[in-house]
Amino acid sequence: MRDDNGVLDYRSARACHECDLLQQIPELKHGDAAHCIRCGATLKRFHKNSLDTSLAFAITGLILFLVANLFPLVSLEALGVSQHGNLISATWALFDARMPFLGVLMLFTTILFPLFSLLGTIYVLTSIRMSHLPPIIAPLFRFLRSTEAWGMLEIFLLALIVASVKLMDITDVHIGISLYAFVLLIVTLTILSLTLNPDDVWDPLKKKEP
Amino acid sequence: MTTAREAGLISCHFCHNLNRMPVIEETVEHDKEQEMLCYVCNSVIHSRIPSSLNKTWALVIAALILYIPANTQAIMTVQLWGDGRPDTIMSGVLSLLHGGMWPLALLIFLASVFVPVAKLATLIYLLLSIKFRSHWRPKERTQLYRITEFIGRWSMIDIFVIGILVALVQFGNTATVTPGIGALSFAAVVICTMVAAHSFDPRLMWDAIEESAHE
Repeated sequence: MRDDNGVLDYRSARACHECDLLQQIPELKHGDAAHCIRCGATLKRFHKNSLDTSLAFAITGLILFLVANLFPLVSLEALGVSQHGNLISATWALFDARMPFLGVLMLFTTILFPLFSLLGTIYVLTSIRMSHLPPIIAPLFRFLRSTEAWGMLEIFLLALIVASVKLMDITDVHIGISLYAFVLLIVTLTILSLTLNPDDVWDPLKKKEP
Repeated sequence: MTTAREAGLISCHFCHNLNRMPVIEETVEHDKEQEMLCYVCNSVIHSRIPSSLNKTWALVIAALILYIPANTQAIMTVQLWGDGRPDTIMSGVLSLLHGGMWPLALLIFLASVFVPVAKLATLIYLLLSIKFRSHWRPKERTQLYRITEFIGRWSMIDIFVIGILVALVQFGNTATVTPGIGALSFAAVVICTMVAAHSFDPRLMWDAIEESAHE
């Protein structure tokens, strides 16, 4: 991993975030990932055009997120009454059931964090693309990175499937229009998290510094 | 093998830029915890997460305490024709099993019982391994940490199922679902373990090995 003299070039070296070992990252080809030589943590990934690809998926994601919120995800029918559920109904229901803490949790993990993450990612990537680097970019992208684990739409989808199967035993469950958008949204977000390369954002910021 | 700390460098948690560690004049600046900022992205940097072990222990203990009401109290009450049936986490899994829905029962068991318990046990083990300066398989312990941090959020699935059921099953006197205090406790357990895993610094496991190598 080091050059012939065994000397590290500190400008391009990395310290592993899990074991702190200093090492040189070799030149990566399309689709490559660099792993720590001591503990195996993923240090860097490289995809050609990852910036443009990520931007495209983020915009797609935002559109799908809006569509997923417009119509019901599932509908229940029992005793001639039908009950519709969309993304935000679980949040309201928990507030109505006097569980404000759980309501807030649902609101943040299924609505606010995913929405803010998509909007923020689009803003950051567009700015980098246009080589326009306002000072807000670094703290904003840092915030997006540290709240990544709290956007839980994919877990919501699995929960929706579990709830529907449970209810199918008792009553009729109909798939709503928005469910298709929601499933596509999860696929889009998964691809986005795979293509988005944080170095695309940090590297231009590094170059700006003397 | 040199670590960033030995080379007098601090790697930024976010942008991975290597910052030079300031030379601390021992007498003057020692009391004041001076915050250092990464010169590229301006985030607060530290060689190791400050008081990582204390924070992790505190959150693990909080999660252990909350885990008791999470399992003994009802997570939700299903009311059918006026008959209330409170469900705990385990009774929910068992009723799915009796209803012949074993894949669902397995999924909920993994997410709501196995993952939180395994996660707490793993964190306690890793904390103790640092305390006793273990040299045993640091690579595998780091991998264990990585898996623990990644998998923890999926425990939230049961909370979401409850939220969805509460929203959908609202048929007046015929059928309603209300969330219970167990759900609240369980959500708090998941949040505590997620933050605990996040405040744990795996680099401390490697420090123990390096420090004894220098002795």
